[in-house]
Amino acid sequence: MLFFLTDLLTLGCINAIMVVSLNVQYGFAGILNVSQYMYVAIGAYVAGVTTMGRPTVPGNTWAPGWTLPWYLGLVLAGVVASGLGVVIFLFTVRRLRMDYLAIVTVASAYIIWNLIDTNYGLFNGDTGIFGVPYITGNANLSTEQYSGVVLAVAAVILGLFVWVSRRIFRSPYGRVLRGIREDEVITTAFGRTSWRAQLWVFVIGCFMAGVGGGLLIFYITAWSPAAWLPIESFALFSALVIGGSGNYWGAVFGGFLVLEGILELVRFLPSFGDPAAAGAFRLLLVGVLLIAILRYRPEGVIPERWLRWYGAPARRLWGRLRPGVSQ
Amino acid sequence: MSEFTHAVGFGLVTASILALAAVAVNLQVGVTNFINFAYGDFLTFGAYVAWVVSSRGFNFFLAVLLGGVATGLLGVAANAFIFRPFMRRGVRTTTLLIAGIGLSFITEQGITLIWGANPLRFNGVSLGTAMTVGPFVLTPGALLMMGSALSLLLLLHVLLSRTKFGKSLRATSENVDLAQACGINCERVISVTWFLAGILTAVAGVGLSLQENNLNPVLGFNELFIIFGAVILGGLGRPYGAMLGALVVGLITEIAGAYVDAAYKTSIAFGIVIILLLFRPQGVLRSAGKTF
Repeated sequence: MLFFLTDLLTLGCINAIMVVSLNVQYGFAGILNVSQYMYVAIGAYVAGVTTMGRPTVPGNTWAPGWTLPWYLGLVLAGVVASGLGVVIFLFTVRRLRMDYLAIVTVASAYIIWNLIDTNYGLFNGDTGIFGVPYITGNANLSTEQYSGVVLAVAAVILGLFVWVSRRIFRSPYGRVLRGIREDEVITTAFGRTSWRAQLWVFVIGCFMAGVGGGLLIFYITAWSPAAWLPIESFALFSALVIGGSGNYWGAVFGGFLVLEGILELVRFLPSFGDPAAAGAFRLLLVGVLLIAILRYRPEGVIPERWLRWYGAPARRLWGRLRPGVSQ
Repeated sequence: MSEFTHAVGFGLVTASILALAAVAVNLQVGVTNFINFAYGDFLTFGAYVAWVVSSRGFNFFLAVLLGGVATGLLGVAANAFIFRPFMRRGVRTTTLLIAGIGLSFITEQGITLIWGANPLRFNGVSLGTAMTVGPFVLTPGALLMMGSALSLLLLLHVLLSRTKFGKSLRATSENVDLAQACGINCERVISVTWFLAGILTAVAGVGLSLQENNLNPVLGFNELFIIFGAVILGGLGRPYGAMLGALVVGLITEIAGAYVDAAYKTSIAFGIVIILLLFRPQGVLRSAGKTF
């Protein structure tokens, strides 16, 4: 029972990290990136191959097979994911309108998926990488204890990322991003180069996604192309829209409820013993929920809060300056 | 050389299937002005309905027809219950796109729940043994597929250019407000367009599953962005452009697949889509002011 709870919370935290990473891109800046799970996958691969050493089972290949400590693996996962993000951004996001961007991100994610699936030198092709050691370095740990350890790490990182999101959201930079999201032309007219502002938030989002992927592979200890089919990105996107895009708590809520909660809920329905049917029913529910939310509460369960820039001090100042009111 | 002509032959078959799908997307985008992300799953749905009917022992052509009608009705229902309420509220295109993602989940997972995730096959339907047709090596089934695709497209051409409905469809596609002002019932035209697109879609779905000799819940989803590529290549709102786009994409993927590696066929198609969108988003034939 305790394991069920820690497992749920750990996966919930990791999912929330992914949705938070998408939120800074789509929620804050309106970048319609429908391939976020690719960055998660790249992060997972990088974190795996840089910490687990060379393959011991014959017939498997992956590179470079370093044995770095896990935290360096996580950082590298984020760095490589954001590096890929920069390349993709400069080629696509910078040049395309948002609806075309959705198509191009899906198509480029598919090409990268296809390349990794068929080339065995880098990430062991369609077999994938497996046998990632526990981050504690102690293999005697039980699954229950290990999930507790990862939960602690994931919760701290989630907290950090939520704090970073909050800083971005409340900063003048966040305001520029919202401006671009709402009306790119006007923001450009005010002298902001929209792609330059979007580049940073895109890179930060990719970094977070890569770290989330790294945590995921440290927890489930294996990764393969079957784990990151294009539909996963669609699920992430749905989770964000249902939770409340633009609000970091909405993103966290989406990660926990939509990605993890519905999965567990479906597991308890008696008629879905077949795991494939349970998975299908989960995504079906996500689809129904997504359309219902868009229809009846388009701002999401936890909507974006508008910051009141004219707070108390500003109002006092305005009262003093208002013409016709004598002091 | 023979390898090349074989690839061209396969490319023509792929192109005829793609053309049906691309024209269907084009008709729907023309009148509604947004792309339907669930479109690939409609394709799968049509193929599954046809499979159900034909596996009950009914005539194969009847099965395809019924699959078409069912997919058409699915399109009409999707329009009436999901997309039209959004469009009436005047939401952003992004919202319609996301609603399409939701619908795609519902359709695809619904198919998985009803018919299972295991791949199926059309029993008793075979494309026949390959024979030499001019420079190409094709099966009689593939020839029949190309023939029916061509005749369907021809029928559509007659419908678009010679009937009153075709005229009102073209008018709606050009400018909804103006068409409405001229007394055209645009909502009805849009519904009928979804239905027509559904029929073409289902035929394309059956063709695709016969060609791949495989019917699974992600059949259409995997093809979705290739279809979009053909549509964009031909220019939005131009059904004839979509046919040309399908021809180009079909030929390039099959020829490249023959020389590079069959595993990269889809990637090559996606590469074309990306390059096109980056450098010529308005399509090779310029469309009449139409964008997604």
